[in-house]
Amino acid sequence: MGETFLKLLEGLPLTLKLTFSSVTLGLVVAMALATMRMSGMPALDWFARAYVFVFRGTPLLVQIFLIYYGLGQFRPALQALNLWGFFREPYWCALLALTLNTAAYVSEIIRGGLQSVPRGQIEAARACGMSPFLLYRRIIIPIAVRQALPGYGNEIILMVKATSLASIITMMEVTGIAHKLISQTFRAIEIFICAGAIYLILNFVVTRAIQALEHRLSPHLRDAPVPVQRLDPAISSGVDR
Amino acid sequence: MSTLSLMSLGSDGWGLAMLVAAGVTLSVASCGFLLGSVIGGLVAWVKLSGGAVARAAADAYTTILRGIPDLLIIYLFYFGGSALLSSIAGLLGPGGFVGVSGFAAGATAIGIISGAYQSEVFRGAYTALNRGEIEAAKSVGMHRALMFRRIIAPQVLRYAIPGLGNVWQLALKESALVSVTGLVELLRQSAIGAGSTREPFSFYLAAAVLYLAITTVSSWGFRRAESYAMRGVRRT
Amino acid sequence: MTLLSTPAVSVRDLRKSFGSLEVLRGISLDAAEGQVISILGSSGSGKSTMLRCINMLETPDAGEIAIGGEVIALRKGRNGRTEPANRSQVDRIRSRVAMVFQSFNLWSHLTVLENVIEAPIHVQKRPRAECIAEAEALLAKVGIVDKRNHYPAHLSGGQQQRAAIARALAMKPQLMLFDEPTSALDPELVGEVLRVMRSLAEEGRTMLVVTHEMGFARDVSSRVVFLHKGMVEEDGPPGEVFSAPTSPRFRQFISEHR
Repeated sequence: MGETFLKLLEGLPLTLKLTFSSVTLGLVVAMALATMRMSGMPALDWFARAYVFVFRGTPLLVQIFLIYYGLGQFRPALQALNLWGFFREPYWCALLALTLNTAAYVSEIIRGGLQSVPRGQIEAARACGMSPFLLYRRIIIPIAVRQALPGYGNEIILMVKATSLASIITMMEVTGIAHKLISQTFRAIEIFICAGAIYLILNFVVTRAIQALEHRLSPHLRDAPVPVQRLDPAISSGVDR
Repeated sequence: MSTLSLMSLGSDGWGLAMLVAAGVTLSVASCGFLLGSVIGGLVAWVKLSGGAVARAAADAYTTILRGIPDLLIIYLFYFGGSALLSSIAGLLGPGGFVGVSGFAAGATAIGIISGAYQSEVFRGAYTALNRGEIEAAKSVGMHRALMFRRIIAPQVLRYAIPGLGNVWQLALKESALVSVTGLVELLRQSAIGAGSTREPFSFYLAAAVLYLAITTVSSWGFRRAESYAMRGVRRT
Repeated sequence: MTLLSTPAVSVRDLRKSFGSLEVLRGISLDAAEGQVISILGSSGSGKSTMLRCINMLETPDAGEIAIGGEVIALRKGRNGRTEPANRSQVDRIRSRVAMVFQSFNLWSHLTVLENVIEAPIHVQKRPRAECIAEAEALLAKVGIVDKRNHYPAHLSGGQQQRAAIARALAMKPQLMLFDEPTSALDPELVGEVLRVMRSLAEEGRTMLVVTHEMGFARDVSSRVVFLHKGMVEEDGPPGEVFSAPTSPRFRQFISEHR
């Protein structure tokens, strides 16, 4: 069991690398998409909508196959463009697919966060003379980030899990090693438990990190420093007994 | 050959095979989803009314299943199930390797995974119920089964529809992973076509279009169901 | 003669605590057939809890409740708390005792008409056509027959409460319990509900009404019971108790609720 665990751990750096790179790059693409959605320019808005529709409506594995195997159909053209070196590598294809996929989901999370900012608070900022840039920097973005954080945390966990699909195109991250071990030894349950534990620990750490960040960013939601007098349950329930 | 002629429904095209495979995708996803509804309903019930130990077990189930990649769970059921069946067969007599069908392993894996998500959907929907309406049902003398059937279940279902729609989309997309078991569903059929025609892009593009069609039609269906179920609630 | 003298509801030495808070400290009350009893008391006096015990929405810790002479059987549960000894008896009694809630509690997934016929069809198992005809007559009586195919969310509070009263009446109850039926209503909607309740009182129905409406207590009810800290503090016909209250606390209560 311990040996299995150590073998699986050899895949952890690749899992982490794929997760970190796709989450970071995905965030950049997502911001661009969200900006397009809210630009008010029909062509950009339409493009971003279509993008989100396609990437959320099809399985990630299909997207990976389209990029890794599918683009092979255009090998001469890609070679002419000097892009074949990129699309020949499973790592880059997996990273590209993961990035494009998560960007679609995250752009919607960003949009939801921005739209959650109460109109009244925006008006109050305008009323005291804030420029649009200042308004975004000081009011809208801080509120939107707090609002979007829990959803974004879920998306990161989904990405940790999604990197496992890279194993189908030969990447030896944790799940890839698990698959290899299972087909060599047929000890499916033992290997599943070890690999599962690695992912659970990883996701636990992500969850805790997001929670800590949420706590830091939301001093207004914490308990008031003055101890509140405890109410009699019969009174605080507001029901006439 | 163009993608369109490649996908023709005639005897020399792959269209029919792709449509049949889309049917397999729908079946494995639906079976998994329905199994997930049964599991999700039971687990939600345990979470809401079970003892401390049962509740902890139910919470652990959702946490674990939502924290582990779906692909690993499919491997567990496919390879683990085969190993289990083989050892049972070995006990019964001289037997070799017994394989689990990809469909059964896939539907079970999707069921177990979507059950974890559905239990949360059902639990959330139940907590959205108005306690007063349940008291009113008690006050007219409804026994528990009647109250569940006439008052609780219809309302839980109504509040659960949007969440169930999301879980259904997840199940649909998870079904693509079942292709690793060799089950000839949409993605596996595309790989077969891609291999024999050397036109992978055309086949995976066709698969993407079919997935998109299925997810679009089903999200439309869930929206219709929701607006029908919410007809008694004022829109704000 | 003995049959006639059986009280519609009889409560003996009812006790109930929530945690360390003793809400009912030994209440006894008999309501004769056709009596309309207004139950008054300040918040926390236990008046709603008493009403909810009669319908077993709360299980009393001790004491006895009899509806039409039938005593509700209680027993000590495994955790030491009392519980109904026989669930089907509770369900049967509840189908004879109707409750009208402060927050209406209409079933939101059913239309007004469906709300009214739900229990007659599924609990009392009466024929559907008959239930619908009766329900329409009841909705006409409370003045909202034109709303019968509306969902509760599309009605005003007063209309919802009248629909809830029609739902209660559809059970042909021997006893009606009203738990602050007008407290959740806007002031201008209180009158329409009180008018319906007054007409029910005039029909000779047996009603227990927890209320803050002093006008109703004074003019409509045949008896007023004032609870204080979980005990009966004052009990008598409204003419007597309002003009010559024996309890100083009730006197104070009246002066605060004019």
